[in-house]
Amino acid sequence: MSAPLLEVRNLSAAHGKKPCLHGIDLSLMPGELLLVLGHNGAGKTTLMRTIFGLHRPSAGQILYQGRDIVGRRPAENVAAGIAYVPQGHGVFRSLSVRDNLLLGAFVVTDRARLAPRLDVVFGLFPVLKERERQIGGTLSGGQQQMLAIGMALMHEPAAIILDEPSLGLAPNLVERVMETVVGIKTAFSTSIIMVEQNVRLSLPVADRVAVIKTGRKIYDGDPGPLGDKVELMKLF
Amino acid sequence: MSLFLQLFVNGLIGGAHYALLAVGFGLIFATTRIVHFAYGPIYTIAAYVAWVTAGPLHWPLPLAMLAAAMVAALLGVFSYQFLYRPIEERQGSTLVVLIASLGLFIVLENLTGIVFGTGGQTVAGFEGGIHFIGPVFFTTVNVWQIVSVLILVPVLAVFLRRARPGKAILAMTDNAEMARIVGIDTVKVSMLVFALGSAISAVPATLILLRDGANPSMGFLAVFIAFVAVVVGGIGSLRGAVAGGFALGMIESLGLWQIPTEWQNSISFVVLFLVVLLRPQGLFGAARR
Repeated sequence: MSAPLLEVRNLSAAHGKKPCLHGIDLSLMPGELLLVLGHNGAGKTTLMRTIFGLHRPSAGQILYQGRDIVGRRPAENVAAGIAYVPQGHGVFRSLSVRDNLLLGAFVVTDRARLAPRLDVVFGLFPVLKERERQIGGTLSGGQQQMLAIGMALMHEPAAIILDEPSLGLAPNLVERVMETVVGIKTAFSTSIIMVEQNVRLSLPVADRVAVIKTGRKIYDGDPGPLGDKVELMKLF
Repeated sequence: MSLFLQLFVNGLIGGAHYALLAVGFGLIFATTRIVHFAYGPIYTIAAYVAWVTAGPLHWPLPLAMLAAAMVAALLGVFSYQFLYRPIEERQGSTLVVLIASLGLFIVLENLTGIVFGTGGQTVAGFEGGIHFIGPVFFTTVNVWQIVSVLILVPVLAVFLRRARPGKAILAMTDNAEMARIVGIDTVKVSMLVFALGSAISAVPATLILLRDGANPSMGFLAVFIAFVAVVVGGIGSLRGAVAGGFALGMIESLGLWQIPTEWQNSISFVVLFLVVLLRPQGLFGAARR
């Protein structure tokens, strides 16, 4: 039994004075795809932002590779190997595809590593290679999502946090994104936390599922039972 | 015709001055979204530092300008570190930042008056040459005003495109949250733009000192013009800030052809209103979501 790569213990957070996460426990094993499901406003995004250091928790611990990272800035977490792909096409809209990708590798100081990483991302998303000089904001929604994921891959992260990659995409594109996520996991043995609302398309690719409801975890385990249990689906 | 030529050249000169003011202010504004009104009095203080060093202390002019730039950069960083940053960290609204900025403006302007006196100062013994091209005349300082834009703007453009800190500035200008997500330390970038933007203001400050002298209230018009030029040119665009500055200088100067002098400052207002009404994203700005 190996140790978790990322572990959240009894984590609470608030927006101003309004609490929105209540004592969440979560763990991400190496090479695992953890799916986090929940309704709008359940606290999924806040949980991810808190893990990544964009939001300060009010209580609890976040352990990455066994060390508490609460209070660390995002820049430190990125350098330590965590990548975050925010909701809604996290790209620099005024910069070219290439500049976006290079900024994804901002923490990589060894410039010799950049060209091979670009090749990896272009291999995964050939359309980005074709549109290397195009301005990020002029890409289609699906392409922007690919670019956002490509940016996260640029610094060879050990863990990627994906916040609703299916948001605003057509169903066939959602399937492609899910395939890509699985492809990344298998090809680079990256550990992935994926937040989703699209249960039907995201459940089949998950290794494990956590369900969040109004700031509390109400399920954590095998994705299998969730596909059948209508009652549990009703829960959230 | 010769009047038109003279006004055109005056417009270029005034525009060059405004363009540099706008570039410094715009760099801070676009990157941090802080409307840094205290940019005005910091520019004033830079002019006074240049006056003290070049005047009573008899330093050579480039050295005086450097001293002014260093003091301005320091004051810029202090404004961020001790005023704006604490507000940002407490998640203060933009209105709070705006009021704090106005407060700093008043404090710095009054301090300048207390330290240097409320009367104007000029560099005694400084003689700039006067040159004629045909019927058009201009001074040596005017030439420097144009040349300073021609040097500083391309250097800044290359820095933003090529250097690592420059790219971080562009990234933060585009989207500060995304900049944090890719691992850019936005606090450091903010300090950098406050230092750079304020230092840039020391160049027009020193040159205007040589041309017109310094007085404690000169910062108001400076930051006002810089603000208008940035909005007219398009927030977040270096080209826009330069174009906005030159457009204002030119319109102000050419306006004199038909419009009485006392209306000169109102012209910038009219330009601002027209742009905000007809092209809110500015001449070179991209429409923002």
